[in-house]
Amino acid sequence: MTTQQISTEKLRKLPESYGKLGWTLLIAGVVFTILSFVIDAKHASFGLTMTLVFVATVGVGSLFWVGVEYVSSAVWSTALRRPFEFLAGVIPFLIILALPLLLRMRTIFEWTHKSLLATDPAMVVKAPYLNIPFFLIRTVGVFALWWLFYYLIIRNSRNQDTSRDQQLTTKNVKLSAGFMPVFAVTLTLFSIDWLMSLTPNWFSTIFAVYVFSGSVLAAMAFGTLIIVKLNEKDRFPVKLTPDHYYNLGAFLFAFVVFWAYIQFSQFMLQWYGNLREETLYYIPRMHGSWAVVSIAVALAEFLIPFFLLVTKPAKMSPKRLVFVSVWLLAAHALDIYWMVMPVYDSKTAVFGVSEVAFILLSLGIILTVFAYKAKGNNMVPVGDPKLQRGLEFHI
Amino acid sequence: MSEVSYGEVIDYSKAPPLVEGNPTLSKIDDSIAAPSETRPSKKYFMALGVTLTMLLIGVIALGYTFYYGIGMWGNNIPVAWGFAITNFVFWIGIGHAGTLISAVLFLFRQRWRTAIARFAEAMTIFAVMCAGLFPLIHLGRPWYAAFVFPIPTQHGVWINWNSPLVWDVFAVSTYFTVSLMFWYIGLIPDLATMRDRTTNKIKKAVYHVLSMGWRFSNRHWQHYEKVYVILAGLATPLVLSVHSIVSFDFAVSILPGWHTTIFPPYFVAGAIFSGFGMVLTVLIIVRKVFNLEYIITMNHLDKMAKVTLLVSMMVAYAYLMEPFMAWYSGDPIDWYLVLMRMTGHYALGFWVMTTCNVFVPQLLWFKKIRHNIGVLFVISLLINVGMWLERYIIIVTSLYKDFLPSAWHIFVPTLTDFGILIGSFGLFFTLVLLFARSLPVISMTEVKGVTEGAHPTHHIGAEHE
Amino acid sequence: MSDIEKNPQGGRRLYGITALFDGPEKLVNAAAAVVKEGYKNYDAYSPYPIHGLDSAMKLKRTYIGAVTLIAGLTGASLLLLFAWWTNSIDYPLVIGGKPYFAWPSYIPLMFEMAVLFGAVSTVAALIMVWLGLPRNSHPLQDTEFMKKISDDGFGIAIEAKDSSFDEKQTKAFLEKLGAEKVELVYYETREISLKEAVLDPKFIGVIVVVAIATSGATYFGLNKMLLLRPWTSLSDQAKVLPETRSEFYPDGFAMRPPVNGTVARGELPYRYANNIPAAEKFMKNPVLPSKHVMELGQRDFNIYCSPCHGYFADGQSRLQGQFPVPPSLHIDSLRTAPDGLYYEVITNGFQGVMPSYARQIPRDERWAIVWYIRALQRAQNPPEVADAK
Repeated sequence: MTTQQISTEKLRKLPESYGKLGWTLLIAGVVFTILSFVIDAKHASFGLTMTLVFVATVGVGSLFWVGVEYVSSAVWSTALRRPFEFLAGVIPFLIILALPLLLRMRTIFEWTHKSLLATDPAMVVKAPYLNIPFFLIRTVGVFALWWLFYYLIIRNSRNQDTSRDQQLTTKNVKLSAGFMPVFAVTLTLFSIDWLMSLTPNWFSTIFAVYVFSGSVLAAMAFGTLIIVKLNEKDRFPVKLTPDHYYNLGAFLFAFVVFWAYIQFSQFMLQWYGNLREETLYYIPRMHGSWAVVSIAVALAEFLIPFFLLVTKPAKMSPKRLVFVSVWLLAAHALDIYWMVMPVYDSKTAVFGVSEVAFILLSLGIILTVFAYKAKGNNMVPVGDPKLQRGLEFHI
Repeated sequence: MSEVSYGEVIDYSKAPPLVEGNPTLSKIDDSIAAPSETRPSKKYFMALGVTLTMLLIGVIALGYTFYYGIGMWGNNIPVAWGFAITNFVFWIGIGHAGTLISAVLFLFRQRWRTAIARFAEAMTIFAVMCAGLFPLIHLGRPWYAAFVFPIPTQHGVWINWNSPLVWDVFAVSTYFTVSLMFWYIGLIPDLATMRDRTTNKIKKAVYHVLSMGWRFSNRHWQHYEKVYVILAGLATPLVLSVHSIVSFDFAVSILPGWHTTIFPPYFVAGAIFSGFGMVLTVLIIVRKVFNLEYIITMNHLDKMAKVTLLVSMMVAYAYLMEPFMAWYSGDPIDWYLVLMRMTGHYALGFWVMTTCNVFVPQLLWFKKIRHNIGVLFVISLLINVGMWLERYIIIVTSLYKDFLPSAWHIFVPTLTDFGILIGSFGLFFTLVLLFARSLPVISMTEVKGVTEGAHPTHHIGAEHE
Repeated sequence: MSDIEKNPQGGRRLYGITALFDGPEKLVNAAAAVVKEGYKNYDAYSPYPIHGLDSAMKLKRTYIGAVTLIAGLTGASLLLLFAWWTNSIDYPLVIGGKPYFAWPSYIPLMFEMAVLFGAVSTVAALIMVWLGLPRNSHPLQDTEFMKKISDDGFGIAIEAKDSSFDEKQTKAFLEKLGAEKVELVYYETREISLKEAVLDPKFIGVIVVVAIATSGATYFGLNKMLLLRPWTSLSDQAKVLPETRSEFYPDGFAMRPPVNGTVARGELPYRYANNIPAAEKFMKNPVLPSKHVMELGQRDFNIYCSPCHGYFADGQSRLQGQFPVPPSLHIDSLRTAPDGLYYEVITNGFQGVMPSYARQIPRDERWAIVWYIRALQRAQNPPEVADAK
């Protein structure tokens, strides 16, 4: 078997355009965010909530993929792991993004209003969970745990580049196995706190799984986009084959279906049960202009990518993969918009400066962090013992 | 997560061998075909005697049920579902591991599945057969089952498309059909091998018919492999949908404890969990009895134990979410049900279930336990018990306390109930034993395809292109 | 089999040449060489699919996936269409407060049907169209070559119908490639005549046994088995039937008289039976006249009364004197008689000549007939004319 040479000059050299684009978007995003707060602080708070959710889901979803690779001892994806590690680099910045929101909790979260306790007996029951001190503890705790595992796993992975110590892989397998249950619980807390409690009376046991499906799908889409782009421009340090593309496409496809499955389960059961405290989530989303958004979400995150990816050549085609990845990221943004914004305005789907700021800022943060991380680190884990096997992978 | 691992060094740069001892292709054929070509041992007949006795008990209990009616069961109003639906959900769940191993792991290109896939698929089919029995006999007059199909009748009325019970009929029959085809398609090359091996005239004729004249042509392999992928691709969402639809039986109603949105994925995880428990139980016995240790290696059992641990965690997640959301919802009835499950009349069942499904599988974190066959076997049995109890607890505790206290009624199973349950196990294991003796229990084709040197080391075609 | 070219070797036709190779690597190399040599009708054989063999043989991509996609979409759409038609058009039913067209309920079923249609069609298409199976008459069946392949052999067969095929040259070519065992394979030529097959006593015997067994089983099933428990479960119930003995009541009667004062459903007590004066005195027509009531009366009158009384109640019987002719209802004494008289006569008959119609005509319809008779009487004898007299 021929061992593939790793191009050392491309290892630490991401094209300048990534960083430039990232900074441009970031600066534009910050400007627009400030602008939106000046125009309408309430609207802007919800906009920033969307940004937080987008960045957090992509970040922690990427860390999840890194962990999955270790736990399942997957081989094919070894060469592709670093971009996901870089994407997970946004995790330490989440707390900064959340800070302005924590200061404006009374605007975003209805349950912070004491008056609700007097009129709604269910809110009295929830009060031990939905109160500001506990919310702060949870938010900080969740971000801290993510950061801890990010730090430990990435450190081992990076050290392996120089030491080539196989024990580091074993260590990371164990760390990742430990991360999985932590991830499940923390993502649940995150989704209940930042999304479900926006509608304080509503509840759904599957909701965290729904957020999870969107999160890993978006992370996979972002990773695929970057990997395929780099490889097609011949800027990836190793040569990836259509078989690698096929696997990326297959994962996108699988999670598109999984997302639809979870969303449908939640919707169908609440529609069928027809209980007031459950339908209050779907009724505003099924009427007026929100109905259009709902249909658009279903089309964008399931039907259209499903047919775009269903055949085998489609999963192997770089053009198709780039298109679908961009499409799915847009769909994920739309999905978050669909989850958050009906709380701000339940009658009409609004689109203003806050939404523009949401898109610019989210992409800006992720791309800037990615470019920054890619500069200081190898684009492929050169010391990973599975690397050569991964490069030889074929279906 | 520290000292234990440093004792041994794993070399990640080499793929672990899938078949131990590097046997020749003929030897694979010989050992896989051996059970169906030699006279069975005394142990085999003893085992068959036990399972047939269990089956007979079931047949007698069924006879009682049909002759005297459903009144022979412990079912009452409000607990109208009792054992029958518990067993139905349990057996459907057992089947799911088979599809998971054969289809999902196939799509993930987990090649270690080859050694266990055939067996797991067969178990799927037998388990679905057992499962399908229960809704049928729960009708009391099973010959009226035709009314669940959308056939035009003189009444003019059609079936109720909104009923999850109708969805069940579609889902389970589709699942059975697709599993059977998947299994059969996988069997065809092996049947052809058996056809060419056997000297018995009658057997040869049967294998000729069953293998349909398969001749290992590469022009055939090409389409065959594609269809195998397609079927795996269809079976994977199918397996999710089937148990989701089974969960809809419960979740579309507005009973506390049933109406919760996590039910579909929770049931799927539970199904895979119980199925893996059962596959482990059966495989540990089979590899011992038929001397297949070099094909079903310790590595396989280790991987299956890991998957079991993973799904156990998923089930545990659902166990956590349910009470949390019951409390978070602020609905006093939901919360009352949670407390009643933990402390009420069926509390013992609840705690045994939680122990077997959540606490005991945590032992699988340790490699030592994963590699101890005796302990693994006990754990797999406990998982079976726990998962059966899970369905029992879900059904009975939500039903027996109706909304009006005057309608409360404790469910007590009768001997007939237990007889039918034992009978379903008898049916399942009888079929498993017969299968193990008559067809190749491991895919010869696939095992041959994963031996060392099975494939050329470089793509010749790639140079031409 | 007229196109068989008779071959010098015992009248058998050559199928082709088979060659075995040692291991997958050599097979792939050989396959590539066979393609290079220009052969088209050849095939490679291996006990399991080998990576890279497809591309070495330059096989085209398989499009069987299209069958799955089309069949799957068909299945899903058919289910949607069917569920919509049955529950919204043919027999609309509201179930659980859901709309007639409850689409979220149909999605699980649409998915199941997509999978069912997709999987069944794909497998059927694979076996029957793509593979051309079942076919147990292929010349390679039961050859030593096939036995080796199904165990651990790797081989190539070049068919005789290939344009570049030449028995000696091809053989030499295969041997040059490093083949271990090069052999010729022939078609079987044995033919079975249809007549012989049908008249075979074995065949006839099987047919007879199957016929007797089937008819016997059908007879037993339909005429005996279905009359046994538990199939009788709907009629076989714990209840007392008329004319049977009761163990419960001391008098042994299963049928019990109704409790005093019991009124059967749909019936009111009638106290003026055969008492015309009382009926005349105490009864008034309880039914209000309307178009519907008049039409009902007309219909019933024409059915039940007109054969004797005539269509106009004038005694013009249509029975041609085979039955006593009733009087005209237009005579003064009857015209002025109260409604109760007519009702009582319809209900209980008259003097043994007119029978009771209580069993044929429901109570309200009898009153409707009374209204119709009144209308007939008025038509024959309008009040204006009577006043003028």
